[in-house]
Amino acid sequence: MLALANDTRNRRFELLAMPHLDAAFRLARWLTGNTADAEDVVQDAYLRAFRYLDTFRGDNFRVWLLTIVRHSFLDWLKDNRSGQRIFQPAPVDMEWTDPNPNAEAMLLDRVDSETLGRLVGQLPAEYREVLILREIEDLSYKDIAVVTGIPAGTVMSRLSRARLALRKAWMSNEKRS
Amino acid sequence: MSHDRTKQLLHAYADRQIGAMRRFFLGRHVARCPSCLAELEAIQAMSAALRTNLPAHRASPALAMRIAAALPREAAPSVRRKRFVWPGFAGAAMAGGLAGVALTLVVSGVRPGPDSLVGDVVADHVRSMMAEHLTDVATSDQHTVKPWLSARLPFSPVVKDFAAEGYPLVGGRLDYVDGRPAAALVYRRDRHVINLFVFVSKQGGDSAPGQESRDGFQVVRWRMGGLSYVAVSDVEGSQLMGFVRLVENG
Repeated sequence: MLALANDTRNRRFELLAMPHLDAAFRLARWLTGNTADAEDVVQDAYLRAFRYLDTFRGDNFRVWLLTIVRHSFLDWLKDNRSGQRIFQPAPVDMEWTDPNPNAEAMLLDRVDSETLGRLVGQLPAEYREVLILREIEDLSYKDIAVVTGIPAGTVMSRLSRARLALRKAWMSNEKRS
Repeated sequence: MSHDRTKQLLHAYADRQIGAMRRFFLGRHVARCPSCLAELEAIQAMSAALRTNLPAHRASPALAMRIAAALPREAAPSVRRKRFVWPGFAGAAMAGGLAGVALTLVVSGVRPGPDSLVGDVVADHVRSMMAEHLTDVATSDQHTVKPWLSARLPFSPVVKDFAAEGYPLVGGRLDYVDGRPAAALVYRRDRHVINLFVFVSKQGGDSAPGQESRDGFQVVRWRMGGLSYVAVSDVEGSQLMGFVRLVENG
């Protein structure tokens, strides 16, 4: 009987969770910066999701799962990089300055994939996560707020700072090369 | 809407995250304000760059296997480990119609009984083609595929290329059949894919190839030298048997 109950549970979990394995991995990969750690984080998240499956009440399993991935990432940070602050606060000069976009910024859509990946990877994690959730996972501001635990009203300003930071990084990269 | 207020809301505007009313007034300002328009275009250019050009990371099949192996122990440590069937590694890549097929196969594959393995391998076969993950090691060189698989499995599968006979080897990958790690050798027959699963046999003794069809796929199973073999494809039955004879005779 227990086996049967677990079987049903397993099947429900497979159907809900496995289609989102790529999304979970992408978020973890961009947060941790490497595949091995990302896989550890995702595995931990999936085991947690399985354990707490019965608490899932919403209608968007992906959002629920990504929230857990982020929690697993934060725990992984505590265990593996104690003392190192990955969630750095944004430098002051990035706060709502008027970027005055110019031709250079427009060229961003011609940057090669590797450079773009490196530039995103070098952003503070709090910027990386909102960018990935918005541009890659295509989540709404409301869902981004759920996943990241920041107030819904601040998602937009976080995103705008993230984009500004990426633009600046790109422009200084251009100047160097 | 004022310039300053618009400037603040441009990101929500670009992301289509504001209501229709505000969107209307904002759009009206942007259309007349070169600075806001330039900013909006910069936001959109970056968005397009990220969406099309950011390196695409995908979960490896090994990760799916790792999770598969870890889950049942989490659920019921005292219960014998159950067979696990995954609906697909790349959910996002599954188009609606195909996903329906796969899920049906998966559900039919988990019903108990001796035949469940057939459903499993058919689901594996379908998934291997849908998830764009046919091979972990893509080469027709049997001397590359064999050591690659042997290093990752508790046995050493025989890997041969039958290109001369019309069944070229495409590559190999790790898979999971009936709760055990399996070598999946991938061949082609014209435009069809043949998956040959090889794993350590639960039962002893050899058995002759037995053929059956399931959900439009041909499945041939046999046992030889302590290993179980299952060939799956949508090629015609006689062609699959021709392939099986080649494998049998090595």
